[in-house]
Amino acid sequence: MLRRIETYSLQPGPDSPVPGAPGAEAPGGDVSGPGAPGPDPPARSVAGRGDGATAFREALGACPRHIPEVLHSAVGRNRSGAPVHLVWEHAFESPEAYRRYMVHPYHATVLDRYILHDSPERVVAGDRLGAGLIGYHCAQPSFRLDGGVRRLVLLRLAADAGPGAVEELGAGLVRVPDDVPGMRVSVMAANTLGSAWFDGVTPITGPPRWTHLWEQGFASEADLAAYRAGPHPVAGVERGGVPAWVRWSGGIVTKASDVWYELERAAP
Amino acid sequence: MVHLVDTVEVDPDRVDRYLEVVRTMAVPVMTDAGASFVSCATTPDDMGEAVTVQTVWGFEDFRQWNDIRKQLVLDPRWYEYGTSAAALRRGGSRRFFTPVAFSPSR
Repeated sequence: MLRRIETYSLQPGPDSPVPGAPGAEAPGGDVSGPGAPGPDPPARSVAGRGDGATAFREALGACPRHIPEVLHSAVGRNRSGAPVHLVWEHAFESPEAYRRYMVHPYHATVLDRYILHDSPERVVAGDRLGAGLIGYHCAQPSFRLDGGVRRLVLLRLAADAGPGAVEELGAGLVRVPDDVPGMRVSVMAANTLGSAWFDGVTPITGPPRWTHLWEQGFASEADLAAYRAGPHPVAGVERGGVPAWVRWSGGIVTKASDVWYELERAAP
Repeated sequence: MVHLVDTVEVDPDRVDRYLEVVRTMAVPVMTDAGASFVSCATTPDDMGEAVTVQTVWGFEDFRQWNDIRKQLVLDPRWYEYGTSAAALRRGGSRRFFTPVAFSPSR
């Protein structure tokens, strides 16, 4: 199974009044890497930017009705300080299913209308978070969360981190819900889709800014807040920002950031 | 053949610059990626209103478009073209058209 998440910031408009906010990065982080695109030109859709942004959100939500390969689809509104307005999370049963999605007319004619850099109806802005497309391969949908709040902790691991150490780090993060009942989902995985977006398997660009992600799920913002302020050692590490991550992980984690969002109710 | 049709509105005093962007930036980027350059046409620029510029690209099907899209995303020139074109237009639309059976051009 392919788990895929797209984060979007929108060009300024009536329903996207805050195109990014300070504090998106954990202390010591970096949101301006060499691959980060510059600012986008002003919004110029004939439909009006607000209308375009709403239409884009609706198009994402309607995607599974048009492309049945799109599974576990949900649109989320960013509630964090990350420079992101909305998030579209979804999955595919296999790389073959993903490739059918890629060539589906709905993808080209509707979704890309709002996304592609040269489209006159583009509503999205540059990807300052470096998480425009992230995702991973997994055996089952352990990421599943029916409503509530999703949090993505974006991690960059040292290039020389050994597989054993990475596995141990991941196992530690996945076990957090054992002591934090409010955390209903905890998946840590390598961001294998960030550079393999064409066919879901083959990397065609350089390593992504975030090499791994820790995907969390909570029933409510209160549960998320309780975890973040709570006594779990990993919560303490998170409060300490990147320096604490580096110390706690023995230098494996070199950068960290996060985005969290409320999942909108799926259309019937 | 599927046609990608970009229809944009441009202020009359910007039309020449917009067309130059299409000619010198869009055409090489799009054709290098595998699209056909079908046409570029404008409404009159002396009617006291914004000029509509319609640019049409062609490709066989959405499978080929996916390959073209990949090449565009990987081409830095595509981003320069998109930024330059956006700065010169008021707004516009993008639609994909498939000629009907009785169309003389298919």
